[in-house]
Amino acid sequence: MNQAAPTEIGAGQALNNADTCYHCGEAVPDWPSYRATIGGIDQAMCCPGCKAVAELIDSSGMAQFYQQRTAFNDKPLPADSADNSQFQAYDLAELQATFTTVDAHGNATASLLLGGISCAACTWLIETSLGKIPGVIRSNVSLQHSKLEVAYDPQLVKTSALFAKVSALGYAVQPYEASVQRDQLITENRRDLRRLAVAWLGMMQVGMFGIALHAGDLQGMAVEYQSLLRWVSLLVASFVVYFSARPFFESAWRHLRQGALVMDLPVALAIGIAWLASAVATMTGRGQVYFDSVVMFTALLLLARYFEHSVRRRDNLDWLDVQSNLPLTVTLRQGDSWTSALRQSLTSGASVLIKPGATIPVDGEIMDGDSAVDEQTFTGEQLPRAVGVGDAIFAGTVNLEGALEVRASGNFADTRLARLQRSSQLGRQGKPELAQLADRLASKFVAAILLITCSTALVWSFIDPSRALWVALSVLVISCPCALSLATPSALASAAAALRRSGIMVSGDNALASLAQTTHLVCDKTGTLTEGKFSIERIVILGSLSEDTVLSTAACLQQYSNHPIAQAFKDSPARNEATEVDYVVGAGIAGTLNDCRYRMGSEAFCRELQTSLPAPPDTRGYWIALVSEQQVLAWIDFNDPLREEATAVLQQAKKQGLTLIMLTGDSGQQGQYLAARLGIEDFQTGLSPEQKMARVEQLQDTGAVVTMVGDGLNDAPVLARANTSIAMANAADLTRTQADLVIVDGGLETVTLAMQKAKFCRRVVLQNFAWALAYNLCAIPLAVSGMVAPWMAAVGMSLSSLLVVANSLRLNRHH
Amino acid sequence: MESLYLLIPIALIFCAIAIRLLLWAIDSGQYDDLDKEAWKILADDDVTENTDSENQDGTKL
Repeated sequence: MNQAAPTEIGAGQALNNADTCYHCGEAVPDWPSYRATIGGIDQAMCCPGCKAVAELIDSSGMAQFYQQRTAFNDKPLPADSADNSQFQAYDLAELQATFTTVDAHGNATASLLLGGISCAACTWLIETSLGKIPGVIRSNVSLQHSKLEVAYDPQLVKTSALFAKVSALGYAVQPYEASVQRDQLITENRRDLRRLAVAWLGMMQVGMFGIALHAGDLQGMAVEYQSLLRWVSLLVASFVVYFSARPFFESAWRHLRQGALVMDLPVALAIGIAWLASAVATMTGRGQVYFDSVVMFTALLLLARYFEHSVRRRDNLDWLDVQSNLPLTVTLRQGDSWTSALRQSLTSGASVLIKPGATIPVDGEIMDGDSAVDEQTFTGEQLPRAVGVGDAIFAGTVNLEGALEVRASGNFADTRLARLQRSSQLGRQGKPELAQLADRLASKFVAAILLITCSTALVWSFIDPSRALWVALSVLVISCPCALSLATPSALASAAAALRRSGIMVSGDNALASLAQTTHLVCDKTGTLTEGKFSIERIVILGSLSEDTVLSTAACLQQYSNHPIAQAFKDSPARNEATEVDYVVGAGIAGTLNDCRYRMGSEAFCRELQTSLPAPPDTRGYWIALVSEQQVLAWIDFNDPLREEATAVLQQAKKQGLTLIMLTGDSGQQGQYLAARLGIEDFQTGLSPEQKMARVEQLQDTGAVVTMVGDGLNDAPVLARANTSIAMANAADLTRTQADLVIVDGGLETVTLAMQKAKFCRRVVLQNFAWALAYNLCAIPLAVSGMVAPWMAAVGMSLSSLLVVANSLRLNRHH
Repeated sequence: MESLYLLIPIALIFCAIAIRLLLWAIDSGQYDDLDKEAWKILADDDVTENTDSENQDGTKL
């Protein structure tokens, strides 16, 4: 293992520096400090989760993973939610049957879906770790599809153990459910590759014969051999046209029937007519053959499209399922006792027990218990909602304080979460498509070319009828829009690759094109413009204790709390253990420290212990009091701080003439205050997901091109609807699937970066078009006057295509 | 030059065999994940050295 100590500078090493977590790359807190020895070297860690995962990797002798990886790992889930008992449900035969197959020898093969695998080194880590479990026969991770296939002997190893192992390495794991969409991705990839392989092998053959034929044109060759080479070229080229060029014909025909002239039409025409003319020339023995051009054109175009598709396929996140966040099993009441059952088998009316800290599995009505639920992802409201008997609670939210007994109102399909998912799908369908520049140009281009070709044929039939057909054909071949059709895909693929390196994944079809044309920038508040977590804004000291002592006393109490404000004390040292801790739902927390009783919470709750507590300093903030039985200690104001970079990003956007709008689900006053501070004139608070979507629709009806930035579940429908949507790094899974661009690491500043890149991309596309059109404008008159030999046409076409590709590659440079 | 009548068909047969092999490889999933394979070839040797004590049978993963 020591051999793996970092003596050479691998890709992974450049990732790390002393201030960030060695495992996930997040900032390391000042206190408490976590360290782990990896490959013999002491490294900083940001949290117990990362430390546990890194130590597991190191102790299994796989520390070299850190030298080989090319991206940081995802931060693992907090230890309590990674409890292995949650996987025990996968040992149930009925559930296993949905994702495993058993062969004749009794060995099972499970298909699992992985989350958080970022580079090839992750696949190695998972495969190697699983291989060490006795009973595992073989495992294979597909990075492209985030899929793990593992073959194992069910007698020796439990299915739940496989889940536990992968989860312990810090990756999310769930059963892989075969879906039409996922299978389609695999078949499409293979089909594209097959076409590409045939086109390139064919191109080599035809190119070889082509060189001989061109040489023959120049220095003369026997008719017999010329004819032989032409017949062989015809054979190979026909197969390539039939096998590889088929999608161009299909797409052109499909669009033509709908009355649309697309770029595939001139492509199909050029390939089809050049092939037909060459075939006629071969059979009659008169005229020119263009087989090499036909095949080369097909091969180059397929290659550019393959690259563009594979960039998109790689970032396809459609597999994320909103249900995967809900617990797999639920605790059901049966008579007087509680039993564990699969969540999927829940029926309406069942009594479900929900423990504090757990994600609520189903919509329902509270029968017994008091608690507070965190509904931030639904409403954007950060403070938990206090609930009691008779209140409704919703699947996907988190129960924070007390245990609840809930009567389920139905299965998953009836939940508000499922409705949100459906309305996102509706939003996506209604998304307005901006007409692609290439398609707009194509219809005019095709019409012009057909016109020029026909008139050429007509004019030449008066001048020299025997040459008319051949001159008209060379016009078609030379105007073959190879460079024109490469212009957009090569630029998009190149820009997407560059953005990926800067931490942004591009998955939408028109994402970059419409981002460049944005007129309105719409932002969510919580988690997008703000950090999305509470921190201490102000402390007003009222007693004799110093600020430092007050903070550490508060931290001692808050370490027992699930309330969102407890996060704010993560960095303050809790120097003491509080005893007799009492949690009062919706009021606060009480505890004893050094024989003195303390209370922290709402005004009324603290006044019960210390009647001299004054009113909070002002009404705007979220004030929490801290008192002891001897004296009043302090008022502490909590706030969700603005992201550091937010002001700069919004000002930059404003400078570029974008209209800024803020839409938030939060109904508090903070929205108004923030909007004023950031200079956003147009803002709305307290909106439901549907209202947000309606507002964007309304903007789009007035001709606006809307870019939406968001993170919460409640943003999913509006992200689906906006022309371009950007999901923040901390976004909910459903939200990420609806976004065209997903920020993988980094904050709001990457939005500015993406916009700049999109604008640059648009410029490059326009340059490509300008060049391709200029080339055609110069070459066509020459061809019309009958002065172009076929080899000149072929060379000119290749050069202009290469120039377009080289121009697009400029986008790939890192800025 | 008559040899062309023999050599060209032979070249075509080789080409056909190459295409068949490539299509077979694509269909059996060997090209499904290009990123991983490129990386794996560099990593495999180290794996066996590192895990020899636990993996005596030398099973490659």
